[in-house]
This record gives sequence, C-alpha cells and structure tokens, in this order.
Amino acid sequence: MSTVNRVKDILRSPARLYLVAGLALAALSLIQIWTGANDITSDGASGATLRFSIPLLMAGLGGLWSERAGVINIGLEGMMIVGTWMGAWFGFKSGPWVGMLAAAIGGIIAGLLHALLTVRIGIDQAVSGLAINLLAYGTTRFLSGVYFPPAGGDILTSPYVKPIALFTVPWLSPHLISLEHKHYFFISDLAGIIAGLITRTSWASLLLMMALPLTIWILWRTKFGLRVRFSGENPVASESLGVNVYRTRFIAIAVSGALAGLGGAYISVVSTGHYLENQTAGRGYIGLATVIFGNWKPMGVFAGAVLFGWTDALRIRQSDSVHATLLAVVAIAVIVALIKLYQKKFKVAIISLVCGSLVLFYFFAQKVVPDEFVTFFPNLTTIIVLAFLSQRLRPPAMAGAPYRKGEE
Amino acid sequence: MTKVIEIIGIGKKYPGVVANDNVNISIEGGSIHAIIGENGAGKSTLMKILFGLVKPDSGSIRVRGEELNLKSPQDAIAKGIGMVHQHFMLADNATVLENVILGSEPTGALGTIHYAAAREKLTEISQRYGLEIDPDQLVASLGVGERQRVEIAKVLFRGAEILILDEPTAVLVPQEVDELFSNLKGLTSNGLTIIFISHKLDEVLQIADDITVMRRGTTVANVHPKETSKKALAEYMIGGALPEPHPGESSRGSDKALKVEGVSFTDHDGRKVINELSLDIFSGEIVGLAGVEGNGQSELIELIMGLVKADSGSIEIVGLDASVATTRQIRDAGVGYIPQDRHRDGLLLGASLWENRVLGHQGTAPMADGLWVNKSAAKSDSERIVSEFDVRTPSINVAAHALSGGNQQKFIVGREMAGAPKVLIAAQPTRGVDVGAQAIIWNHLIEARRNGAAVLLVSADLDEIFKLSDRIAVIFRGEITNYLDPKKATPETLGMAMTGEKIA
Repeated sequence: MSTVNRVKDILRSPARLYLVAGLALAALSLIQIWTGANDITSDGASGATLRFSIPLLMAGLGGLWSERAGVINIGLEGMMIVGTWMGAWFGFKSGPWVGMLAAAIGGIIAGLLHALLTVRIGIDQAVSGLAINLLAYGTTRFLSGVYFPPAGGDILTSPYVKPIALFTVPWLSPHLISLEHKHYFFISDLAGIIAGLITRTSWASLLLMMALPLTIWILWRTKFGLRVRFSGENPVASESLGVNVYRTRFIAIAVSGALAGLGGAYISVVSTGHYLENQTAGRGYIGLATVIFGNWKPMGVFAGAVLFGWTDALRIRQSDSVHATLLAVVAIAVIVALIKLYQKKFKVAIISLVCGSLVLFYFFAQKVVPDEFVTFFPNLTTIIVLAFLSQRLRPPAMAGAPYRKGEE
Repeated sequence: MTKVIEIIGIGKKYPGVVANDNVNISIEGGSIHAIIGENGAGKSTLMKILFGLVKPDSGSIRVRGEELNLKSPQDAIAKGIGMVHQHFMLADNATVLENVILGSEPTGALGTIHYAAAREKLTEISQRYGLEIDPDQLVASLGVGERQRVEIAKVLFRGAEILILDEPTAVLVPQEVDELFSNLKGLTSNGLTIIFISHKLDEVLQIADDITVMRRGTTVANVHPKETSKKALAEYMIGGALPEPHPGESSRGSDKALKVEGVSFTDHDGRKVINELSLDIFSGEIVGLAGVEGNGQSELIELIMGLVKADSGSIEIVGLDASVATTRQIRDAGVGYIPQDRHRDGLLLGASLWENRVLGHQGTAPMADGLWVNKSAAKSDSERIVSEFDVRTPSINVAAHALSGGNQQKFIVGREMAGAPKVLIAAQPTRGVDVGAQAIIWNHLIEARRNGAAVLLVSADLDEIFKLSDRIAVIFRGEITNYLDPKKATPETLGMAMTGEKIA
C-alpha cells in the first residue's frame, strides 16, 4: 500500500514531468531500435524541432500573458505577421538584431491597439483580434509593395537579412554526437537531443528561450505578475483592492504583442532569412492552441510548442520517422487504456484501445503517412486533450469576458 | 467605552432619489453595531460612504474624533476601515494567500513577493482570531464559510480595526452562521469594531451590542437588543404594524395535483440522494418541505421540474407523466417554479424585466403569438406584476440586475404566479428579502393556494414553514420521514424530526 502511495505522490509532484519525458524518450528509443528509423531523436531532428518550436513558444507565451490578464488574443497571428515583416525589413536595413527589436516594437504597437480596442473601448475580444489579423495582413502587403521591389526583393519577398551568428558548445557537442552515433538504448537518444540543442544554434534561439523562465518568474513570483493573473481571474476584486486593472491589462497585452512579434521575426530573420508573404502560416493560431493544450501554464505551453514543433520538423525531414512514430501513438493509446481500466472507466478505455488498434493496423498496412495527416496531428492531439481533460483545464475565470471599471 | 465612529448628519442624493438623509449613528469601540433596514432603506449607500466608494453631499464622519475625508477605498483602508463584501471578491484559481495579499503585497527587489513573510503574517492573523484558514489552499476548494473567513482575513491583513460586514449571513447555512458569530466575538474581544449590516432580525438580536434602524434613507431608532423585540424592530423598519399572513380556512381540494411515488435518484458521484421518496400534494394545499440542507431537497425539485430524470419511480403532475416529460411540457402543464438561486436559475440578469417576464412562458399564449413573442402582452403583464407585487423599479425596461435582491424575487414570484399555476414549486421564496417583501410574497403564496394551486414550499426558514403550511413533510436523507401538523408541532419537535428522529 505504501509503495502505491509513494508512486501516487511522485505522480502528483512536479517531478512527474521528468518521469513522463523519460518514459517517452525510452519508448521512442525502443521504436527506433525496432523499426530501424533513426531520425526521430537525432541531433538534426532535435535542432529542427527547436527551430520550429520557438515561434510557437513565443506565440503561446504571448497568448498566455494576454489570457492570464483576462483578454483573449486571437490577434496573435497578425502580431506575428507584423513581426515577420518588421524583422525582415529592419533586419535588411540595419542588421538582424535591429530587426528583432523592430519586430518586438511592431508587436507592442499591435498589442496596444488590441488593448485599446478591447480594454478601453470594450469591443468584443474575438472581433478585435480578427480585425488585427486582417489589418496586419493588408498593411504588410501594402508596405511590401512599396518597399521591397526597389530594395531588390519583390512584392511577396524581402531581400535577404544578414544571418544571426550561430554557436556550438565546444567539446561537449562533438562528444555527444559521437555518443549518439553509437546507437545505445536511451543514452544515444538523449545525447542526440541535447547535441541538437547546442550545435550550430542561433544566438536568437537562446535569447528567445529566456522568455520561458522570465514569464514563469514574473507571473508567479512578482507583485506585477500576481496582479496580471488576478486581472484575468477576478478583475472586480482586483479593482476593489486598488489594482489598476486597465493598466495591468494594457501592459500584459503589450508583452503579448512583443512576444508574438519576436516569434514572427524568428521565422523571417532566423529560419528563412527573408520575408515571405504568408510565412506565419497560422502559427499564431497554433500558439493559441498551445495555451489550451498547456492548461494556461508556461511549462504546459512549452510542452505544446515542442510537440507541435516536433511534428513540423518530422514532416520536413523524413517520412519513415513519421511512420515509426505511429507506434508511439499506439503505445500512448495502450497506456491511456490501462489507466482508464484501473480507474474503471471502461468506455474511454475501449475507445482508446480501438483507436490504438486502428493506428497499429495502419502501421502494418502502409509504409508512409500522408503529409496532411502529419500536419494535422498536433491539432488532433489538442482536440483529444480537450476532450479528455476539459474538466481539469483551468482557464483564467474571466478571460474573454468584458470588464468595465465600476460595474459588477 | 469610547466612540470610535461618529456619523453626523450624512446626506446623499442621487438624481430623483434621496439615498441618505440626516443619518446619525455613533459606534462604540470593541462592539458589534448592527444597522438594519429594508432593502432600499439606504444601508448600502451609507456603507459605500463609509468605505470611500461614494462621497456624501452633506454631513461628516469622525473616526476617533478625527474628521474623515475619504476619496477612495484605499483611503478608508489607510484609516483602518475594511469592508467584507456580501458577494465574495475572491479568485477561485488562486491560493488563499495570493487572494489575501493582492494589492498590498510585501515585496523586495524587482517586485519579488516575499511569500514567506506574507504567509507568516497571515498564519499569525488566522491563529489570533481563530479563523482557521490554510494559506496554501486553492480558493476553489473552499466552502462558503471558509471563503468568508478569507475575506475577513483579507481585511485584517491590511490592518483594519473597523470592519464593515455587508449582509454576511445571506449566503451561509445556520451552522456557518454560528461559526461566523463566534469569530466575530473573537474579533471584538481583541478590540476590533464591527459594523454589521443585516435585515435578519433574529440574528441581529443575537449578535449585536447596539442596533440602529434605518428607514427611507434616515436613521429612525437606536436600540439595545435587550430592550427590544423582533416585532418592535420590524415595526421600526417598515414604519407601521407588520401584516401577518392569515392562511384562513383549509382550501384543500380532493384531487392530487402532484403525485411522487417511490422515486429514487443517484447523483454524479454515485450517491443515492433520493431514496424511494413518495409525496402527494392536493390542490389548494401548501405542503412545507422541511429538512437540513443537503438532504435531497434540491434534487427533488429538479426531478419534479424534469431537469434531471429519476432512476425509478413515477412523478405525476395534473395527469402528466412528469418522469418522462420535458421541462417545457411540465411547465406548459401549469407548473410555476420559484428557484432557490434567483441569479443562477431565475433571471437573465442582463435582460430587461419584460423579457424576463417571458421566460418559462415563451411557448404559450399570452406570451407567445404563434412563432413570435408577444411583446406588448409581455410588457403589459410586467407592468401588472410591478404594481401588484410592489416591485420597486424605475421601469420595466431596465435590466434585471439593476434591481435589489428582494425586488428581483418579487418579480420572479409574480411571473411564476401568472396564469394561475396548478402546481407551484416555491424553493426558498423569501431567502434574502426584507420583511416587507416577505409579507407580500407570503400573501401571494396564500392566494395561490386559495385559488386551488398545490404548493410545495421548500424553505430553510422554519418560521415560514410554520406560518404557511397546511402540512409539514420532513425530508431526511432523501426520504420523507415524517408528516407534522403545523398547528400542533413545535419548533423543537420539527428540529428533532429534521435530524432523523421519528415523531409519532
């Protein structure tokens, strides 16, 4: 009995994150050994995952800031678009770092517009967000036509930006890569993942990743963060205790815009090196999905961004990896089924098993997975997470609700 | 004893309304001073003035002899005046500690919160005043009584020495009221002063050291609880003799309008909350359902209204098989329903009164005209309710949330009485309303009975049960365990029956 309780304690403690991550890695490792696919946990896949995850992480954290303060930010996509354009143009003009800064400022301006419309004027938050998306799309297109052709680009693409320097951690990186190529169970996979993060990595990646610990620290350890969260949970109570809810929301939405803008600039300046129209491809919306997936918590948003980024990376790289990953889906389905059996929730267990067997059948019947499915996979995961966990999700109580000072 | 607060000649006018006029109160330090009055008597305005939310037009307030000039609640807090709101100002998705410190966080460099210091201070407050709150619990997991103690802790954390409690017992069950009262005694024995706003006369007589009565915006009496009575207080409040309900002769018909037979119901958590329950109500009869809260009253109402379906057994309402009918069919068969939570189930707070009048009758004439809502009928009937039930409102076009609780309740009662219901389910019909509104609602319930309605009266107010019921049915653990005759039973026997004892 006591061991059962101890296991339960561990499962409830924050350490369960490491446990889950470790188990997932072990499962992927086994799958690679069995199927011979070895690009799932390679340094290349890990580096690509990082590059695809960062824009999503930035958008997700942007969504988190805004929603924690009580305002839903559908305008994230537009703020990212502003970021891609500002980053590329000012990057081309004055260097990549200036581009990043300009993107953040552009995001802040878009954020302040959203704040003005929703907080001050009281327009419906979804309507204001959509307006910002449309406005961003139209404005950037107009500006592209004015500025890019004379500078050597065309109406859809900007000239190239000077790249941001890369870094590789000396000694550690080559040793990890050689360890990775030995294909030991688990150890090589772990080595590959870490090697991918510290080999030929952009300084911009490192800098933007700091947004995660900073967000956690500000929102949960500081006075300002507490007030941001209460503005989203109970603005009336906050106001009654002397918190200036309007101002707090303005700042939080500006931070949201800055983060989304930086995420956009990362795509244009770091990932592709220039601006392409429609480059964000809905990543702002995926960022919103990571907020829900992550239960409005920064580490959850991070996990969501990595999951979505990982599937993006896999799709681009090698389809046999994707095919092998199907086995991981089967494993998850079996684990869910076992847990639900233990909880005596037979309906869910059976559904889970049936889904698992269908995927398993597909794994043996087909050699490749269509790209479309891979693209859709993260969205499907979000839907499943929402379906199964919706009762345990804790969105900020007043996110999305209009708030007028002095009214209850 | 010294005077801690002196309120001298306070007046406040709003366009068209005199909210406060020549209000004079003096409050002694370390005492509990109750301010009572009907809804709309000006208590809330006075408290808003005291807490800095509203500026008075005339008069002055002195705290310990010093003239107050409050511009905001923050000023009031700085002067040691704290307010415990009737509707809790707490965030569910945050811990007790976070809720308490918000707005006056002890911080260090870069705005980092000193959680350890804050936790220590809160624990110390909790122990000194016996509040028994755990700083690290999530507010979502707390009960109503605990939430109120968190609200009190919030005020004490800010160093308040004068606490204003606005109708603190409105949301509490009797046991929680007792706990609150012992907490309040703990506060005053530590030298704090409490201003207790209420319209519940029993409670005021029990807890207060002094009582001030307000009527129509002004103070009409200052009395000692030992030198007065409930009846005298009520007469001060309404400015005349209180009309007593006179149920009169039995008007019980011969047909059973509501027949509940052997009904069982299991809730989400798998608890069998209604167990083989049977209950018949004849037309023209009021049956009072008495019981300690949580013994299946809410579930029985939901079963009768078709909001949930029974596991087994049958419910018949004027010939309709309600165990399979939809709520709409049940209502159309002539069932009126006064829900116990008027904000959650009784009204659309953001919609106008006349729109609220349509609710529940949207499918039948006169509210419906074919596919359309009959707006003129809804409006004229709303006007009728406003005048017959003395609903105090500027117009029938204002949103329901603009009305005070008692007036909202009168409007709901009026709506549910419309169209002469054959069965009326009245759950806590006078909860949170003042004595004047209570008398009006009681008279209308009696009138419905005289007109042949079968009334199921579910109430936690035993006085109400005794005054109105033809029969009292006692519900205990999902069963009707006793029937009592209100003319013969005493509150003591009813109390025993409610705890499960069999009374012959």
